[in-house]
Amino acid sequence: MESGEGLQSRRDFLRKLGLGAGFLIAGGQFGFTWFFDEKEGKLKAIVVDFSKCTGCRTCETVCAGFHAPRAAGSSVAAPVNPYQARIRVHHFNPDADVPQVCAHCADAPCIEACPVDPDPVTGRKALYRDPVTGSPVNDTDACIGCRSCARACKELRTGTIRPNPVTRMPEGICDLCGGEPRCVQVCPFGALQLADAGDAGHLAGLSPEKIAQVLMETYYSPQ
Amino acid sequence: MAETMPGYYGRLLDVNLSTGTIVKTTLDPQWLQDYIGGRGLGAKILYERLKNPGTEAFSPENILLFMPGPFSGLPLPSSSRTCVVTKSPRTSPKSGSYHGASTISYSNIGGFFGPELRFAGYDGLAITGRSDKPVYLYIKDETVEIRDASEYWGLGTDALETRLIADLGSDGFRSCYIGPAAEKMVPLASVLNTAARAAGRGGTGAVMGSKRLKAICVSGSGIPNVADPVKFNELLETVRSSFAQDTPSRRWWREGGTTNALEESSAGGTMAVKNYSEGSFGEVSRIGTAAARKEIWKRDFACYCCFLACKKSGMAKGAYGGVVHDGPEYETGSMLGSNLLIADLAGLNRCIAVADDLGLDIISAGNIIGFLMEAYDKKLIDRDFLDGIDLTWGNVEAVLAMLRKMGANEGVGIRANQGVRSLAREIGQGSEAFAIHVKGHELAGWNVHKAVDWFGISYSTANRGACHMNGGAPGPQNQSALRDSLGICSFVDEWYVNDSAFEKILTAITGREWSGASLELAGERIYNLEKMFNYREGFRREDDCLPERFFSEAGKQGPAAGIKVDRARFEQMLDDYYIARGWDLKTSKPGPEKLAALGITDF
Ligand code: SF4
Ligand code: SF4
Ligand code: SF4
Repeated sequence: MESGEGLQSRRDFLRKLGLGAGFLIAGGQFGFTWFFDEKEGKLKAIVVDFSKCTGCRTCETVCAGFHAPRAAGSSVAAPVNPYQARIRVHHFNPDADVPQVCAHCADAPCIEACPVDPDPVTGRKALYRDPVTGSPVNDTDACIGCRSCARACKELRTGTIRPNPVTRMPEGICDLCGGEPRCVQVCPFGALQLADAGDAGHLAGLSPEKIAQVLMETYYSPQ
Repeated sequence: MAETMPGYYGRLLDVNLSTGTIVKTTLDPQWLQDYIGGRGLGAKILYERLKNPGTEAFSPENILLFMPGPFSGLPLPSSSRTCVVTKSPRTSPKSGSYHGASTISYSNIGGFFGPELRFAGYDGLAITGRSDKPVYLYIKDETVEIRDASEYWGLGTDALETRLIADLGSDGFRSCYIGPAAEKMVPLASVLNTAARAAGRGGTGAVMGSKRLKAICVSGSGIPNVADPVKFNELLETVRSSFAQDTPSRRWWREGGTTNALEESSAGGTMAVKNYSEGSFGEVSRIGTAAARKEIWKRDFACYCCFLACKKSGMAKGAYGGVVHDGPEYETGSMLGSNLLIADLAGLNRCIAVADDLGLDIISAGNIIGFLMEAYDKKLIDRDFLDGIDLTWGNVEAVLAMLRKMGANEGVGIRANQGVRSLAREIGQGSEAFAIHVKGHELAGWNVHKAVDWFGISYSTANRGACHMNGGAPGPQNQSALRDSLGICSFVDEWYVNDSAFEKILTAITGREWSGASLELAGERIYNLEKMFNYREGFRREDDCLPERFFSEAGKQGPAAGIKVDRARFEQMLDDYYIARGWDLKTSKPGPEKLAALGITDF
């Protein structure tokens, strides 16, 4: 390849990933339908307005800070590494930044995949839906660290579950900060919203790679 | 290990590519206290380790330092910067006794790399030696490996960025790298990250290429300890809420960033136009913010924790469309645009994309091509000299052809890559007068005729050779050295004032009491140490000069029409500057009282 001619066109890029423009229509909804949670009505989730996100990673730092352990007697956590956040901003080239965050999927394949028998009293597996926020929550006493949930999420949805490298138990699932999402409050560009999970439309629950595809297709078209 | 100051790890990652040795060196806490980090700490390390003047920039002994600062990686808005510090392959003194004499070089880069280096547990990275085959450096916390890079060698920065994301993931590793130009040790080669953000100036990439180091890929899971988390969080809230205000200044950055300065500078007569012969560009609106928003930009991008997002990316339409890139911003837009009389926005954007892909310093590249255009226009050189390229003003195809020659380091590109000073020596015939450099380093996109008070001093006295970011007086120069040392962006001073001033934040981070005055003193110390490095190499007052053009010729257009710089006045300004600095009027050496006050030991 001659020097200086290595710049990729959009088409090359799409070809490399084996996706074409038809992808959007074909892959959009996965064939599942959104349904109402029996108790709380519609499931809520952090929904990203990708046209506003600049990839600054402020959301990561705020989320990581909010969930960080406090020293005894202190209400404030020392700064923590942004990778401890439950939202993670992926960067791609050509320029596209995609915050990855639990979509609070109505059919929750992560919970589906959990092989632990439901508790006879609560009916909960080791991964179960929090009745208030709708977030998948891990019962660390029941969890066997098999990583089935992480695999299901990665294969079918956002891939937000990161098993703890030591305990192997699932981490990285957005809990909506218990109902008052900090990332939404602090995002400098107003790119995050607490909305009905279905509001993310055809991008709901997709992996960062797939969302990046769609964004590149949208932003970078020579026409 | 000595007690480390909070806010730092007190560790420098030392990698020798000749021997393959990897050492985590303990940093003297006094160095951190005196030189802060980033550019300052880099200068201190270079000053102490490269004591022999005349060490060749491309020799294995030269040290290439990647230096974040104590702010880098903490969630402070715009705490994204890293300073790349090394001995310059671009500069040399007018006289002096050392063949390889050159200035210090430092070039600042945003993005996400510096914060990641701190997450991995290091206050800096020092590369020495030279590998015998292409390698890249893999850093994951304590794991540091020198890995084979033969598959990456030869790739342009755009393809390399995509490749590294594919190989290392889109959310963990942050990388800095060089393009094909640096592999060939083209002196004006840059270091880049995210395929567009560049530590462009002063040949940092060329030094990286001379070490056969293609890329540095870092991932870290830690963060530095902060002395007073309660106070730190309070300050963080304060600074975030001041950034949260929708002010005209914030809008200026978000809407256009430095691209806005293209039209503003042209209107003020301070723009580099037609190889600095003019200060205004009649067609500037064709490459300005409104045009770029309409025709190219799709998205705004931010560096780590930044509220401004001044990087604008998109894709042009038409014959030069089809590639995704950012810009034009002020420097790329002036140096490859107005300076070459290019007003074709898509063509300009393509030139920028190609130069970044090759990994060339766009400021120097645009300056050099402008010089050659003028020499060709004046018939001092013919088409043969240019390998057949018809290098006329405004000719996008010819500029692309030149950039490719330069990136490949072949034919006319080899001569062009030595810079305008060397070209003028070769071409002669009075061309020295319009070779626009100081100390061998080309000037940036700001013209001097009408702005000598600021840019005359900024360019002539800068420690890396001509530099537009240097500042036009001692105070601002110290301040900019300080910012580059803290690891904070140059554009956010106005948000870090009063209750959230730098000294308050550094106090909360380090637990040492900092005041505005003690920080200013640290900035002055850093600036003077760089100056001492240069003095040791043989740079004297005669090297603090300006190109002849500004004294002897005036432009015809705009507010700068008819204005020349008065030579006696410039020399007087320089006198005043040295006096204010406490430097010797004849030699420019920092005086003994000044050195004593700053705690710098003379060599
Ligand atoms: S804080 Fe907002 S703009 Fe920044 S990366 Fe997160 S979502 Fe995007
Ligand atoms: S995004 Fe993943 S973790 Fe969240 S509900 Fe869906 S499958 Fe479960
Ligand atoms: S809502 Fe809370 S838990 Fe979820 S991503 Fe935002 S900050 Fe993190």
